[in-house]
Order: sequence, then C-alpha cells, then structure tokens
Amino acid sequence: MRALGILLVAVTLVVSACGSDEDVGLAGQIRTPAPNVSDVSLPEVTGGDIRDFALTAREDSLLLLYFGYTGCPDICPTTLADLRSAVRTLDGEQADRVDVAFATIDPNRDTNEVATAYIHAFFPEKGIAIRTDDPDELQTAADALGVIYSVEEQEDGTIFVEHSAWVYVIDDTGTLLVSWPFGIEPDAIASDIRLLLKETPA
Amino acid sequence: MRRILGIVLALGLIVAACGGDDDLSVRDAWARDSPGTAEAGAAYMVIEAGGEDDRLLSVSVPADVAAMAQVHEVVMNEGAMSMQAVENGLAIPSGETVTLEPGSYHVMMMNLAQPLEVGDEFTMTLTFEQAGTVDVDVEVREE
Repeated sequence: MRALGILLVAVTLVVSACGSDEDVGLAGQIRTPAPNVSDVSLPEVTGGDIRDFALTAREDSLLLLYFGYTGCPDICPTTLADLRSAVRTLDGEQADRVDVAFATIDPNRDTNEVATAYIHAFFPEKGIAIRTDDPDELQTAADALGVIYSVEEQEDGTIFVEHSAWVYVIDDTGTLLVSWPFGIEPDAIASDIRLLLKETPA
Repeated sequence: MRRILGIVLALGLIVAACGGDDDLSVRDAWARDSPGTAEAGAAYMVIEAGGEDDRLLSVSVPADVAAMAQVHEVVMNEGAMSMQAVENGLAIPSGETVTLEPGSYHVMMMNLAQPLEVGDEFTMTLTFEQAGTVDVDVEVREE
C-alpha cells in the first residue's frame, strides 16, 4: 500500500511536470533558478579583430551559444546544422533577432581563423566565433553555464575530447532562458525561438 | 513429369532468389559537408545484415578524400559526450539493420584532403568479416 502511495506520488509528479512544460510550451530544459551570465565575457575573434563579448544577447534578441571544437565530426556539426535548419524556418524579422555563437573548447587547434570559418560555414557573416587562450577564462565561462569539457593529449599523440553538447539560449539581460540537448529536432528549436522572441518583444 | 520438373526448377529459382536477398547490403550512404577548414568529417549509412552474423571490421576512403577513416561511436559519460573507435569491429547481427547516424555510430574521416562540399561523391570501401569488401557511393549533403 505504501509502495502504491509512493508510486501515485511519483506518477502525479511526472504528470504535473509534463503539465507545467505544456503551460510554458518550451521544448528545451528550463533551469530554476535561471543562471545569469551577464557578468561573464569571452573574446570574440570573428573576422580577426578581438573584442570582449559579454555572454548576453543584443537588445530584444536571443543569443544561441554552443561550446564545441572544429575537429568534432559528428556532434558539433549536427547541432549547428540543426540550428541552421531551425533559423531558416523563421521569418526575416525573427531571424534578425537571433545570433549564434560558437565558443571553441580546443583553442590550441582552433585558431581564430579556423573557428571563424567554422561558424561562418553554418551562419555566413553573422556567426560569432569565440576563443580564448586563457584556460581559466574559458573554465569560468563554462562553469557559469554548466558546460563540461576536457581536451587531453593521449600517449599515442591523438587528442581526446569530451564535452557536454547543449545549446544555451540567453536573452538581452544575460539570463539563460532555456537549454537544448543534443538531438532536439529543428522544429522544436524553431518553436522555442518563436515563443521566446514573443516574450522578448522588439 | 516434365511439368513437375518445371515446377521443381521454378521453386529452385525462388529459393535461390531468397538466398540472394540474404546478402548484406548498404544503402543511404551520405557524408555531411565539412564546415570551413575543419579537418574532420563524418559519414552515415544503413547496413542491412545478411543471413549470417557479420562485423564491419574497417572502412577506407581514397587518399584524395581523407587520410584515414574509422568507425566511431558516441559515448556519454556523466553528461559529456566523446567519440571512440569501435573495438573489434561493429557487430551486424543476422537479420538486423544497423544505422550509422548523427549522435550514434558514424564513420569519422580524419585529415580531409579538401573540404567535403555538397554534391561531391566518393567511394567508401567497407570490409566485413563475412561479406568481404563492399564499395558504397557516398553523397555529400548539407542536412
């Protein structure tokens, strides 16, 4: 009987969790409390000039931030291609209010030029490349969002990379609105973007 | 008697045809276009097993595509993803379909000779324990 009670509570919790998701209508994961990363910045290296880039969207816009590396053949390009597919379904006004930034976790191999060429392959001109030579600076930014990564040279000289593969959606106050896991459908991404842009009226 | 012989012959042909269907086959092979100057690429495909258990032991691509190709799997470790080569070959159990797809098994191509561009095609040679070598045409797509 007690087990049944626990089961009922568990089921109720699951149902209510689903219910609240439906109310909000967002497919991505919402963290409570939502982290604010407006005081975190990393160097933007797009196009050669290096400037300080606060992890905050432009006014009335959304910043989609991804931490990856260009030697990643599967997870990273799949994620960025899914973002591209999603952004392509937006109307022009909506798409103008979305920026995509790629922060490399492998700055030794990803030079400024390589990182820029990489994000521009998915988002020509508009894509933002972020790279720092300072491991502490990268770690601080990663910790602020909960990014896990490690890049280690193996005995045979190959480089082993491990990383979490979320896309972080940040608003113009630096608040993390939602995070998308690897494998989320482009339709769900586009739907989330539309909803979030409505809540961030231009 | 002649008619019976005809039927037997026909049955024999049908059985032989079924035997043909039991061969391992590979379809829908594609590679994602490589972004910018990225040195790595990935290819995906669907492998339909034949009538016996098999293993995909190795893969290769022409030198003008990439210096090296390996079957990799994505491993999840406490929230972080990484890739590793599949040890001892990828099992292709009899009668099953094994799909190489984003976020799962894939062929990693290292040190691309040049960027993979949409519309490019190249041949990938797969070596199976039982089925031997199978050449597949890989189409580069955006997806």
